[in-house]
Amino acid sequence: MGIESFEQGQKGEEAAERYLLQNGYQILKRNFHSQQGEIDIIARDRDVLVFVEVKNYSFRSYGSPLGAVRKSKRESIVHAARTYLLKNNVKDTNCRFDVLTISRHLDGSRRIELYKNAFFIN
Amino acid sequence: MLVKISSAAILGLDAYQIEVEVDSIRGLPGQSIVGLPDAAVKESRDRVRSAVANSGFEFPSGYFTINLAPADTKKEGPLYDLPIALGMLMVSEQAPAREMNGTLVLGELSLDGSVRPVNGILPICLSLADKCSEILVPRENADEAALVRGLSVIPVRSLKEAVGHLSGKAIIASHKVDIDALFQDEPEYGIDFADVKGQGHVKRALEVAAAGGHNILLVGPPGSGKTMLARRLPTILPSLSLEEALEVTKLYSVTGSLSGKGSLVTRRSFRSPHHTTSDIGIIGGGRIPRPGEVSLAHLGILFLDEFPEFDRNVLEVLRQPLEDGKVTISRAHSSLTYPAQFMLVAAMNPCPCGRLYDARNACVCLPHQVQRYWRKLSGPLLDRIDIQLEVPRLKTEELSSLPAGESSAQIRKRVRRAREVQVGRFKGKRVFSNAHMTPRQIKEHCPLEKQAEAILKSAIVHLKLSARAYDKVLKVSRTIADLEGSDLILGRHVAEATQYRSLDRKGGEF
Repeated sequence: MGIESFEQGQKGEEAAERYLLQNGYQILKRNFHSQQGEIDIIARDRDVLVFVEVKNYSFRSYGSPLGAVRKSKRESIVHAARTYLLKNNVKDTNCRFDVLTISRHLDGSRRIELYKNAFFIN
Repeated sequence: MLVKISSAAILGLDAYQIEVEVDSIRGLPGQSIVGLPDAAVKESRDRVRSAVANSGFEFPSGYFTINLAPADTKKEGPLYDLPIALGMLMVSEQAPAREMNGTLVLGELSLDGSVRPVNGILPICLSLADKCSEILVPRENADEAALVRGLSVIPVRSLKEAVGHLSGKAIIASHKVDIDALFQDEPEYGIDFADVKGQGHVKRALEVAAAGGHNILLVGPPGSGKTMLARRLPTILPSLSLEEALEVTKLYSVTGSLSGKGSLVTRRSFRSPHHTTSDIGIIGGGRIPRPGEVSLAHLGILFLDEFPEFDRNVLEVLRQPLEDGKVTISRAHSSLTYPAQFMLVAAMNPCPCGRLYDARNACVCLPHQVQRYWRKLSGPLLDRIDIQLEVPRLKTEELSSLPAGESSAQIRKRVRRAREVQVGRFKGKRVFSNAHMTPRQIKEHCPLEKQAEAILKSAIVHLKLSARAYDKVLKVSRTIADLEGSDLILGRHVAEATQYRSLDRKGGEF
């Protein structure tokens, strides 16, 4: 990963956080790591605990950004979510997996979309 | 929170109640369906998810467990989509949870939230009518469900409508059909015996077969009109009674072949399976046994064209349903009985090339080829065919000059009268038509006039009729006499009946 794209990722996550705050989310944690996975943002939306995966996309990418959260990625997010629940002793709380996509256009403008309930454990 | 919604599952032509239990626990989002669901039931998870979201509801968070009780029977088909979706909405308090006692819910969901038709609605309504007062069914199945009296049938087009009805906000009026109106008219077949020119003797033989429920074998060269004549046989059979129509409709409902036939099958069925059909296709079968062609031809006609081309085992499995009027299919999963009272109409060529005994064309088959062709038909099977008939090819000038024959309605009148005589004769016995008389009943019900006896005796001597053929001739004579309204079997009746033993006359082979 080049330093440039890392910076883009950082910027993206900041933008994502602002977007979530505007939408009434309460941010609990950024970049939570477990052994097998990582969650970009953990937040609270009213009484629901939300695990948010942030996806950065330049205009050159093919297809829908949501399509890139593939099965293996979903599984690692679920694994990390379980770890978080266990570590913080969270019980009896409804959880949700959201995906937030950021597309960058040629002129540098960004478009942010939030997919609530993007996937489930099976 | 736990919600229970009643639904149903089908086993053969019966149904039993299923409880769809939906429960949610707080935690990571997801769901699992238990209670031995098959693939179609498991996939309902994805359909329900989209349908709920596209109906303007929010897909509820939390982990859902859906149990289909009783948990020890296998559930198949997509008919639990609607109860599952309703249950999830009630659990998440998007629909008011209410006591669902006495309400049955069935339906497949489309991704856009509309409700799609499912199979087997009629048997479900008939079997569970005493256990429930109200049933929510897909709009397309409402006519079928409303055939059952004393049941409030609620037709729903979408998940939203179902929620509206159950919450009492937008009550849907129960659906009614006028059963008597469905039965008022003679069924319309679109074909008629008057379409067929000439072949007077074949039409007469078909009339006799229809009147007595006799199985019939038509032997003739290609293009002689065997198929055309056979197709018109249902048009001269008496119309189905309501009870019979419900029975046939049930079979069609279970196999999912009801669409396009209206809610109630009032016409007698005509099934003509291709000769490559397997024995399972004919008799029914599968992991969970489903009705086959013999059952779909119940109370109608099973037409087997190119009779000897069918696999030998296919022909042999016909023997039991021909005898009993029903088939019992046993599999590891269950053993089910389906009705199969049908008239067998078989058609074949006299030899592989079809030109044997044709006046104008020479046959090119070798004798042993003809022999092998006929050997496919076993004695026991031919035993069950009362009428064997040659269908000659018509000459061109006959085709253009002959007038149209009688209409089906005229013939049907005579057939109905003959059937009524038989119903009176066999009252209280398990026999409905002359074709099914036992040897003792033949003795009792076939009094021969003197001349008739003489003709029969000389037929046995001169035509070398076997003992087996003797009984057949008597049965067919009985039917011919019934058509004429005569109690006594007269000479001309026997004379005609012996004409219907072409095979015997030719020594078992043409």
